[in-house]
Amino acid sequence: MLVLGLPLASPASGQTADELVAKNLAARGGAAKLEALKALRFNGKVRFPGDFELTYQETRARGPASDLVRVDMAVQGLTIMQAHDGAGGWRVNPFQGRRDSERMSADEARSLADSALLSGPLHNAKKAGSTISYLGREDFDGTNAYKLKVTERDGDEFVYLLDPDTMLEIKVTETRRLRGSPVIYEYELGDYEQVGGVYFPMSIESWGQGNPNQRSRIMIASAEANPNVNAQIFADPGAAGASAPSSSPQPAPVDQAEDAAPVPQTVPKVPNAVNPAQPPSDPKKPDDKPKSSNRG
Amino acid sequence: MTRTMLFLSTAMAAALPAYAAPIADSAAISGLGIRNIGSATMSGRIAALDARQEPDGKVTLFVGSASGGVWKSTDGGTNFRPVFDKQPVQSIGAVALDPTNKEVVWVGTGESWTRNSVSVGDGVYKSTDGGESWTNMGLPTTERIVRIVVHPKDGNIVYVCAPGKLWSDSADRGLYKTSDGGRTWSHILKGANLSTGCSSVSMDPSNPDHLLAGMWDFRRKGWTFRSGGNGPDAPSGSSLRESFDGGRTWTALTAENRTGLPKGPWGRIEAVHAPSNPNIVYAFIENVRSALYVSEDGGKTFQERDRSRNMVWRPFYFSRIVVDPKNDKRLFKMNLRMIVSDDGGKSFADAAGGSHADWHDIWINPTNTKHIIGGDDGGLWTSYDGGNRWHKSHNLPISQFYHVSADDKDPYQVYGGLQDNSTWVGDQEYPGGITNNRWENLYGGDGFWAFSDPADPDYAYAEFQGGNVARINRKTLEGRNIQPQAGYKEKLRFNWNTPLHLSPNERGTLYIGSQYLFRTRDQGVTWERISPDLTTNDKERQRQEESGGITVDNSAAEMHTTIYSISESLKAAGQIWVGTDDGNVQLTRDGGRSWTNVSKNLKTPQGRWVSWVEASRHDPAVAYVAVDRHTYGDMQPYLYRTADYGRTWQQLAGPGTEGIRGYAHVVREDRANPSILYAGTEFGLFASLDRGRTWAQFKPNNFPAVAVRDVWQPAKEDDLVLATHGRGIWIVDDLGPLRALTPERLAANAVLIEGSEVQQRIRGNGGWAEGDASYSGENPPQGAVISYYQKARHVIGRMKLEVLDQQGNVVDELPASKRRGLNRVVWSMRTKPPQVPPAASLAGYSTQGQRVLPGQYIVRLTKAGEVTTMPLTIGLDRRATYNVADRQAQFAAAERVKGLFNRMSRLNADINGLRAQTDAVAKREGASARLKTDAARVSEQADALRKQLVATKEGGAITGEERLRENVDNIYGAITSVEAAPTAYQLARVDALERELKEVEDAFARLKAGDAQRLSTAMIGERLPAIDFAAAKLLDDDARGGPASALANGLVGTRYYGPLRDIRINARKR
Repeated sequence: MLVLGLPLASPASGQTADELVAKNLAARGGAAKLEALKALRFNGKVRFPGDFELTYQETRARGPASDLVRVDMAVQGLTIMQAHDGAGGWRVNPFQGRRDSERMSADEARSLADSALLSGPLHNAKKAGSTISYLGREDFDGTNAYKLKVTERDGDEFVYLLDPDTMLEIKVTETRRLRGSPVIYEYELGDYEQVGGVYFPMSIESWGQGNPNQRSRIMIASAEANPNVNAQIFADPGAAGASAPSSSPQPAPVDQAEDAAPVPQTVPKVPNAVNPAQPPSDPKKPDDKPKSSNRG
Repeated sequence: MTRTMLFLSTAMAAALPAYAAPIADSAAISGLGIRNIGSATMSGRIAALDARQEPDGKVTLFVGSASGGVWKSTDGGTNFRPVFDKQPVQSIGAVALDPTNKEVVWVGTGESWTRNSVSVGDGVYKSTDGGESWTNMGLPTTERIVRIVVHPKDGNIVYVCAPGKLWSDSADRGLYKTSDGGRTWSHILKGANLSTGCSSVSMDPSNPDHLLAGMWDFRRKGWTFRSGGNGPDAPSGSSLRESFDGGRTWTALTAENRTGLPKGPWGRIEAVHAPSNPNIVYAFIENVRSALYVSEDGGKTFQERDRSRNMVWRPFYFSRIVVDPKNDKRLFKMNLRMIVSDDGGKSFADAAGGSHADWHDIWINPTNTKHIIGGDDGGLWTSYDGGNRWHKSHNLPISQFYHVSADDKDPYQVYGGLQDNSTWVGDQEYPGGITNNRWENLYGGDGFWAFSDPADPDYAYAEFQGGNVARINRKTLEGRNIQPQAGYKEKLRFNWNTPLHLSPNERGTLYIGSQYLFRTRDQGVTWERISPDLTTNDKERQRQEESGGITVDNSAAEMHTTIYSISESLKAAGQIWVGTDDGNVQLTRDGGRSWTNVSKNLKTPQGRWVSWVEASRHDPAVAYVAVDRHTYGDMQPYLYRTADYGRTWQQLAGPGTEGIRGYAHVVREDRANPSILYAGTEFGLFASLDRGRTWAQFKPNNFPAVAVRDVWQPAKEDDLVLATHGRGIWIVDDLGPLRALTPERLAANAVLIEGSEVQQRIRGNGGWAEGDASYSGENPPQGAVISYYQKARHVIGRMKLEVLDQQGNVVDELPASKRRGLNRVVWSMRTKPPQVPPAASLAGYSTQGQRVLPGQYIVRLTKAGEVTTMPLTIGLDRRATYNVADRQAQFAAAERVKGLFNRMSRLNADINGLRAQTDAVAKREGASARLKTDAARVSEQADALRKQLVATKEGGAITGEERLRENVDNIYGAITSVEAAPTAYQLARVDALERELKEVEDAFARLKAGDAQRLSTAMIGERLPAIDFAAAKLLDDDARGGPASALANGLVGTRYYGPLRDIRINARKR
């Protein structure tokens, strides 16, 4: 029942990397539909190991030079943010009383740039000059998957495992270097649904290699293709000329400083004639929240 | 057309399984999961290592453990990860980094420090991606490899030195060479006989075609060992060979053609060149006058030099020589104590410092020769002063357990003995993680069986090799030796791994076996000998004093014709099964008065070691036997079952049995379901759900193919505890779902599996920062574990897992796991956290809801539109000193505080709504000055109220600012973070805070009715809309939150959200 209407792939032997990439692309929805995606928004929740859950909103959009991403995670009206603005990464961690942005290191920002890709590192490989190799089959928890490795020009690697029945990605292993030391994340992907005609995972679990029992889990409740995105949400609020970083209609909950004008945790229903406290972003879309990274 | 065909073929494939009975295969059962509790405090034997100083200052290190795989560090040993876990063997003999290519690593499997307990390998492996993935490059039947040398200029040329099979004849041993990177191999140096292989190979640093190879004749049997021939003077195939043409032709170097070399016969040989001087050759040659032989002319002549104890002791176990890469006069010789010479081997000094001892390999940093990393029987060591003092690595959980047991405590502790690393007791559940210091050493020597005394938990039984059993006082750690003693002119034969067995019927009754079975009912004060000699008493297998070959070696490791396994029936007191290392299975049904040898009908190939006997827990006529034939060169599993007291035996596993591999150490019957069997072999854990008809490997993806030597089911929990010989102790939490895998469920698309009542376990705080170089074992899941089975991986469409209360309200939605087979998801059993008004920083206690009340809940699984449900019962912690009424009072108090938070959030929102509107008016162009002033004043009044509600100082400093929100957070924490009903003074504090809140509410109401209303009227007068006091709409962010510590831990190490570990620290400072 489930697979009806899906382009099913043949698990024939003698696969090449190109064939597998093509089959995966077809299974995802095809190049045209993927190309037609200019922005994506995912709303849901993230649960960290030890069971801490925050709301989750991820927005990706094509930028002038490269794809952009913004992730917000909130609890108690405090929102952790991180984003790539095309030039670099920034983050805000308000839990300890600071609401100004911090600049990410270059290594962190490179990783975030990969997670911004609307087409993912696999289907961005050609454009980015990455190499793709087929490494044969590998068992992943009882699924005999196809294994593809994407090596980016900077040496970072993504190993994809494709489900032989649906040809969709069920696992990604990402190896990067932070200050010269390898850091390896693994992702398990599932609950695929179409967004703008392209399959994206609505369930993303991730863990540091060696700790599969300590997983962060992202559950996407809703996803939107080509939403209206205010490009300003990707800009570092600490950078000169940038405005406040609220990404969603759910406004930044408290004032930026003690004496600043309050931005309520609420959306004031002010008559149109007067709209004194309108937050900078579009308040009509309270459904912005996303997922991260490289599942697609 | 193609599309249609593909669809049809898929449909047919999907239909096929309907005709076959579903089988609980490896994927079906492995989702049960497993956790490692370590420990790295004792760690385990390291056989080989190699490293490289990187240009950026860091050291890349590959550690080959004797039986726990390969571990890689990119930071000189601060942090390790196992990189060989997906390979089918875990015993490592050699590690070599390609000097021409940083990405290429070679590993030779099968350790060559050939002690009695050594494991086996399956050839040589190569990685071309720095150890991330591996390919077996061949030589699968060499069984063990001791050295790999890569050509310094051409990485395609590699030499592999293979001692070969330990337990049997084989021609597949000696020196192999590849010139095409491992695609093909030439056997360039063969042994003189079928027991002689390669023990060392060294390449002249000035001429890669000039090789020196040691050839070694050796053999181990269950009852004897020889290095060299069958005695000091017996003929031996050992020799030292030299080639000048890259191995095409060889010359033997002997006493006859090389001045200074000793006369044969020889035993183990190690010959190495000094890296900095090709003329210097150091050779250790085992012979009747074992010594270090040194050549200063490139191997033309030799001189005998050191022959101190630590040069010549146990050559089969210690032979490695490592020469300083910069100083040709400086060399290290591995031995019990490592020794070092600074004068070319004329004299040696101790270089083992405070290490464990029993050294096997070191790496000397060529850029700083004072920096040395080495491995011994106790793990990995680093010296920064050239080998005088050593720093121990506490991050390699490669401990080699023989056995494990558990006590009856809650949480239970585990007991087990290890190869050369004593007997330990450790926690398997501890707040903050099972760090190394949660393990306690009980005894000494090599450890084996160990038990808590069921009759007196202040005591434990432990032993060291040869049956040296002691009763240990857990408080003082005083050990009283209680080993049964021999009679007049009698020798008791206790195995290296002497079996101890607790009676399942009499609390405190203990059995021990030599060739006789002994029983004590008074904690070892007296022993009864309750059997005759139960072995074959084959005198040919009792000549251990002659064991060793050239160098006598009789350490109790070769003791034979002994009892090896004991099992008393739970169903019939006094019915005891005994297995011996020489193949007997004996049964008494009358407490030892009479014995029957029931192994006559046990049809195995000639030569068997009964490694395990297991009386069924369900049927007195049923027993299981594991037969281990690896000491006869047969690595296959042999498992048997009798249902008629041993008259006949049914084979459950043998050569070619699908789903199980490796020589068998243990077979256990499940406590609850006699159809479920667990078998531990040299290559892992295997299970059968159908009484041995079919087998499947239990292999969660964090669990390598490591030897499982014992399996224990604790009385206190329904767990399975594994003793692995190479990776410590592992625990499968809750076997219930495995038992639920009936054929009907195995065929289901998705089915929930009901469990027993879940405890809301008390949470404590433990642990402290130990840095990144310390191992910490994993705790059991913290919450209710919800299990389900699905026959295929879930990829497309939503899968939803929810918990509902009895009224059908959704209490929580959980991320559903997707794998094929069993899945397990943990639920925290907490409510949603309170809705807290936003402020300057997190309200640390209120990030999580209080626990749900004990009682009945419903789990609902929705997959592809199919909905299934099951009940979930939640109870109190067994250890609780409180009752359900206390918890109800706590729950009610927490709900009341949540109510305060809700009111406060509403009030805060309303205040902010008013401020937003008045601030806008105050700045509005065109408004009258009076109106602006009034608006600003109202805003200020509102803000003053807000500042009574929430802390507003930002900037990240420790402001210590406490307002109503922070005070309510504190009382919420005080009420919810304990395991008790709230106290009267806590409830009084809630009353006080409610009163304070009410005052602010009243003040805001007055403001609205007074100044704000007047302002609104004035606004209308200036043609502006009136103030909308209901403008603010409270948005529930719907986040469930959780413990702040989890947030700190959870975000650290995930993607770049920034350092949050200080959340916890700041909370404590507060």
